[in-house]
Amino acid sequence: MGALNHAEPMAVPVPPIRRRVAGALLGFGSLAVVSILAAPLAGSTPVDFVRAWDPSIPFHRNVDAQIFFIARLPRVLAAALVGSALAAAGVVFQALLRNPLATPFTLGVSAGAALGAMLAITAGVSFGIGPLGSVPLASFAGSLAAVGIVYALATARHRGFSTNVMLLAGVTLNSFFSAIILFLQYLADMTQTMRTVRWLMGDLDVASYGPLLAAAPLVAVALGAFAWLARALNLLALGPEQAEARGVDSLRAQRVAFISASLATGAAVSVGGPVGFIGIVVPHLVRLIVGADHRILLPAASLFGASFLIGCDLVSRTVMAPLELPVGIVTAMIGGPFFLWLLISRGGGSAR
Amino acid sequence: MKSVCRGPGLPLGACCFAWALLGLAAAITAAGAQPAPARRVVSLVPAVTEMLFAIGAGPQVVGVSSYDREPADVERLPRVGALLDPDLERIFTLAPDLVVVYGSQDELRQQLDRAGVPAFLYRHGGLAGIFDTIVRLGGRTGRTVEAAAVIRQVQADLDDVRRRVSARAPARVLLVFGRDPDSLRNVYASGGVGFLHDVLVLAGGTNVLADVGREGLQISAEQILARRPDVILELRAEGGPDGADALRAWRTLTAVPAVKSGRVHALVGSDLVVPGPRIARAAERIARVLHPEAW
Amino acid sequence: MLSATDLSFTYGRRRSGREAGGPAVADATLHVAQGSRVGILGPNGSGKTTLLKLLAGVLRPDEGSVTLEGRDLRTFSRAGLARRMAMVPQDTHPAFEYTVLEIVLMGRYAHLGPFEMERPGDLRVARECLEATGTSALQHRPFHTLSGGEKQRVVIASALAQATDLLLLDEPSSSLDLRYQLEIADLLLRLSRGRSSTLVLSTHDLNFAATVCDALVLIRDGRLVAAGSPREVLTPAHIRTLYGVEADVQEHPRHGGLVVVPVRPDGEGGPGGDRPWAR
Repeated sequence: MGALNHAEPMAVPVPPIRRRVAGALLGFGSLAVVSILAAPLAGSTPVDFVRAWDPSIPFHRNVDAQIFFIARLPRVLAAALVGSALAAAGVVFQALLRNPLATPFTLGVSAGAALGAMLAITAGVSFGIGPLGSVPLASFAGSLAAVGIVYALATARHRGFSTNVMLLAGVTLNSFFSAIILFLQYLADMTQTMRTVRWLMGDLDVASYGPLLAAAPLVAVALGAFAWLARALNLLALGPEQAEARGVDSLRAQRVAFISASLATGAAVSVGGPVGFIGIVVPHLVRLIVGADHRILLPAASLFGASFLIGCDLVSRTVMAPLELPVGIVTAMIGGPFFLWLLISRGGGSAR
Repeated sequence: MKSVCRGPGLPLGACCFAWALLGLAAAITAAGAQPAPARRVVSLVPAVTEMLFAIGAGPQVVGVSSYDREPADVERLPRVGALLDPDLERIFTLAPDLVVVYGSQDELRQQLDRAGVPAFLYRHGGLAGIFDTIVRLGGRTGRTVEAAAVIRQVQADLDDVRRRVSARAPARVLLVFGRDPDSLRNVYASGGVGFLHDVLVLAGGTNVLADVGREGLQISAEQILARRPDVILELRAEGGPDGADALRAWRTLTAVPAVKSGRVHALVGSDLVVPGPRIARAAERIARVLHPEAW
Repeated sequence: MLSATDLSFTYGRRRSGREAGGPAVADATLHVAQGSRVGILGPNGSGKTTLLKLLAGVLRPDEGSVTLEGRDLRTFSRAGLARRMAMVPQDTHPAFEYTVLEIVLMGRYAHLGPFEMERPGDLRVARECLEATGTSALQHRPFHTLSGGEKQRVVIASALAQATDLLLLDEPSSSLDLRYQLEIADLLLRLSRGRSSTLVLSTHDLNFAATVCDALVLIRDGRLVAAGSPREVLTPAHIRTLYGVEADVQEHPRHGGLVVVPVRPDGEGGPGGDRPWAR
């Protein structure tokens, strides 16, 4: 390198990437594990855990065991699944749209899911398959439809993938589907309307493992795709053209990002309804802690999202017992003020 | 839609409440400038429509709500909307001299007031509220005698039910108004307030959620297990899966006494959801399920 | 090393072939020799950025082709191309807060496998690039807190981290003040000589081009109007054609390089008003 100065290599205060990833996984992972283990132990009903775990008492007569294994544990696992899926999807959507205000619901996924759910609720007939109820199935179908429309519109251009078109399509779809939902609510009777509104507030009381087993593979596939995308997402933050100049296949990365994040969101919404704020609060919070490198941000946000939602669900099922405070309200009440504070103190927290 | 009636000693309290309201109604009747009996009544409340027909004021009814089904005569009557979307134009076209509206329809009341059309305010309440409404209706339609007769009949039927079950220990019941068709998500249950709760108590049951004090609430699986109802009763207006199919979802919670002993029942019928003159039939149906040996 | 043949490109071209406006670049043919410093010189809207993007493979030409080391660009994979050619855009606005070091390390993308993370070797390359651009002291600062000149140098460092022989720069001096313009010019010359890098840059700044480049291509309305060494190409006649400006081209007494001094816009006859800069 000729004339260039070979100074002593500078000591790097920031630990190398491997250590940071390991540190994040360890730290947030421990928090997640502790949440999953501790949450089923807490609740509004006193449970005798010795009895619950006593194998000599037949399960079908063991109330404490049923509370633990049927009422609480699936709920905590659902919170972990939904929280991790929505938080990670939020990170990916923010990277895809290059906008820290994007949420997993910006592009119409939840509107499609809501429409599907509403149709299932007002139809009144059960078309569930095995462990999958009609409402989760219909909501997932609805989200797929919405994703399909947005994807088709975004890729219809001659060249590649337009995030602008995608954003417009998503926002339009949100409004359009919301209008249809309101119309259906108007036609439906009061109970159905009430149940739809309730569904929109989020509910993690799955009371069985079926929906979790159905949604988990989808979320796992999506999280795997995210791992593959992590570095590309960093470069996409500079813009698709600049990412391409550095060797990223921007088109493929954007497509995979959109599809996998929508899949994760659709699966999460089919389990617990559209629980808001996780997809925007958790990415921001975690980005403040670990930085913007997606290789650390994605696993950290995913794990923290799980803990966060487990905590919110705990609040939702204990604070007003025996009444349930819908979990979407809890996340909004925590997320809303936090987000306002974030905007005030950091002006949006983005580079722009 | 809150009921004022609450707490122990319900029959006595209900009677006192009904008498208090009667007295108040009489006072108002004496004090206010009460017009002649209504000849052309439009009813937005299905329960009130039933009451009107029951007290013989059917011929005076000229318009009903979109949701009216009973009695069969209403099929030929024009529809004027309902709670959320009353069609003012249609109402005025029928030239009513009395319009039965929900207590929460403030805007409609104002519009009727400006047009000089009297409004009958329906307030949703407990069992006693039903009788009170019938009495008021009788007064407004000039059918006070028939109204009293209807009340006597219904109370007699209710007393019959009450007598039959009085000797038996009340059953601990979870009264379910609705849930997702194929799972235990979104279970809505009675929270110890309202006419169905009153009917349940009359029919020989206690509400496991009586302490909550709300007309309806969503209940979680944990709560169902914790409250240990001996009987689970699903009440539905119409439709939906019935029989063994409908109740399959409950079988995941086998530790609940009701599920263990197979005492999970679904009752279907509009008499179960309308706080009107057929309420005694609803009471009997519920009582037959809770205490079949009394018949 | 890098050749373009009969390149044509129009923005907003639909599949049907209908053109939205005129071509941004038409029938462009040029050749970049290894180790040279080529400048694409033209006024605003002349198509120089478009031409640069076509050369970089960021845009696909409607007609014609671009070859690198004898192979058509389209035959390279994205990563393969990134290992041979790096591009520095005019502006960089990362959507999130990355540190300088993180941005420079992004240049190593093409050298790593799908799930690989940076090795010590990559970190060494990154640090060397920071030193080469004089930005070592900034490496842990958030990118958006830097000044315009510092940002530009960091982006250049990021491009250098790709370890390519060929570097393309889009208007490298446009948003910078005089001091940073000189620094960038200096840096580019050092890179060219020290690393034997081949440079292609687009600019509208005549003096910058004169200082840095050893070969110039003049472009106007999407067409190349002249090519050659700065002395051959930077003539008052060409400048008049390109910019519509009457200018003097002089040899600077101190550094011996070419200096272009505008006298007055072409078409305005006679001394009209005071023009202090023209004295």
